[in-house]
Amino acid sequence: MMIKNMVPVTKLIATFAFSFWALVMHTTIPLIILVVAELLILTVCGNLQRNSKAVGSLAVFAVFLGIVQLLGGGSVESAYVTGLRMMAMTVVFIILLTTTRLQDLTAAMVTQIKVPYEYAFMFTAALRFVPDFIAESKAVQEAQACRGLSVKGNVFKRMINYMSVIQPLMLKSLSRSETMALSLELRGFGSQQRHSFMSNVQPNVMDYALIGGMILISAVVIYLRIHGIV
Amino acid sequence: MLEMKNVNFDYGNGVPILKEVNLIIGEGEFIGLGGRNGCGKTTVTRLLMGLEKPVQGDILKDGKSIIKQDASVRSRFIGYVFQRPERQMFRPTVAQEIAYGPQQLGMTKRETEEAVAEAMEATGLQKLADAYPPNLNRGEKQRVAIASALAMHTQYLILDEPTSGQDSAEKTKLMRLLTKLNDAGLTILLITHDMDILAQYCKRVIVMGHQTKYFDGTPQKLFTECDELVDLGLTRPQSVTLSMAVAGMKYCKSMAEFQDEMVKRLRGNA
Repeated sequence: MMIKNMVPVTKLIATFAFSFWALVMHTTIPLIILVVAELLILTVCGNLQRNSKAVGSLAVFAVFLGIVQLLGGGSVESAYVTGLRMMAMTVVFIILLTTTRLQDLTAAMVTQIKVPYEYAFMFTAALRFVPDFIAESKAVQEAQACRGLSVKGNVFKRMINYMSVIQPLMLKSLSRSETMALSLELRGFGSQQRHSFMSNVQPNVMDYALIGGMILISAVVIYLRIHGIV
Repeated sequence: MLEMKNVNFDYGNGVPILKEVNLIIGEGEFIGLGGRNGCGKTTVTRLLMGLEKPVQGDILKDGKSIIKQDASVRSRFIGYVFQRPERQMFRPTVAQEIAYGPQQLGMTKRETEEAVAEAMEATGLQKLADAYPPNLNRGEKQRVAIASALAMHTQYLILDEPTSGQDSAEKTKLMRLLTKLNDAGLTILLITHDMDILAQYCKRVIVMGHQTKYFDGTPQKLFTECDELVDLGLTRPQSVTLSMAVAGMKYCKSMAEFQDEMVKRLRGNA
């Protein structure tokens, strides 16, 4: 619950802090602890089951990265580190995106990080587009399956077949972007210098304490890294 | 014949969408599928098409289970026209778009050309053969989607609210096309919220309600005998209401029929 109550800027800082720790650490055990901690946070937030497919896909990609590292002449240890680092740096974004409303994220970016509204909106609009794009992709695949498109067969056959999904998907996405741009323009997007927000994203004492804690952990991680412990 | 036998369905969250649904779709029928929003109409058609798998129960074609066949296999005998047909369009011309299905079935070039020509003729699309599909209006896109199914020599055609967002002329044109195709032997299952379509064009109506098949019968029986029309999210068409209000008048399934009956009566009295 505490994570859900944190303001977006704290979660953003936490996301960058976890990513930073993952980059600094270069041994397997601390990275495993980091990934497990992130998975525990996701579980505590009640979002692990809902995002199990995404986490599973990331795990598969981590294994793939590890294999590439091995094939490229790296050691087994470096293969583990590469895969785990990738997991640690991506799972934390799932936590951020599943525990934060996008409009709160935009408000935090504009009011606290001082990102221009247009850029903050672009970022969150792109994030909002992902689930819509996935849903549309599923709908197009179903429409083509009803016309005999099979997703079975070898990789090349699948890739050729997938062209019949990509083209209508692209057309639909372009038309959707155009509609969205028009809709924004009709509602005065970019016409005002200041943009107001309904969300209250001011950090409270707990947020400041957590940010302080993360700075402290970062200093400890850097110290341990210098001494070759993590 | 397509059959749903004791079908139960939910989306994996334990909340039942359909319970013990039993229905038979005979060859050559023209069936309207109605009911409130969210009552499971689209789920029924998705189950028939193989886009969803029942949690319990079976789906049969001519007595044989087709539960293990996915949508790409069932597309050999069931055509499905989505509410937004542009989702399936990706080829540069209407003719090539229609040819996609036959090519997926492995037809030869000659067979494909013949199938496309027949489908375009049946749907009145000859003049649009070289048009770019995304540029067509909604009614034309619906006809391209229907032609795409016909070119695959489908036996059953399922349409999900094909007339939504269309003007009266386009709606009439589409319904006449479907009637013509039905007369030629194609079985049609049509999801609609349009009571006039249910009354005027459908020979049988299935109404989904209370998570199951709630009504199955003729449109006349539905609109004259069913007391729960409002509960089921339906209304009586004006032609039926008017014909019931005039003493001794027969059931009129359309306003045109009601007008004819009234004219006959007035002439008779004169």
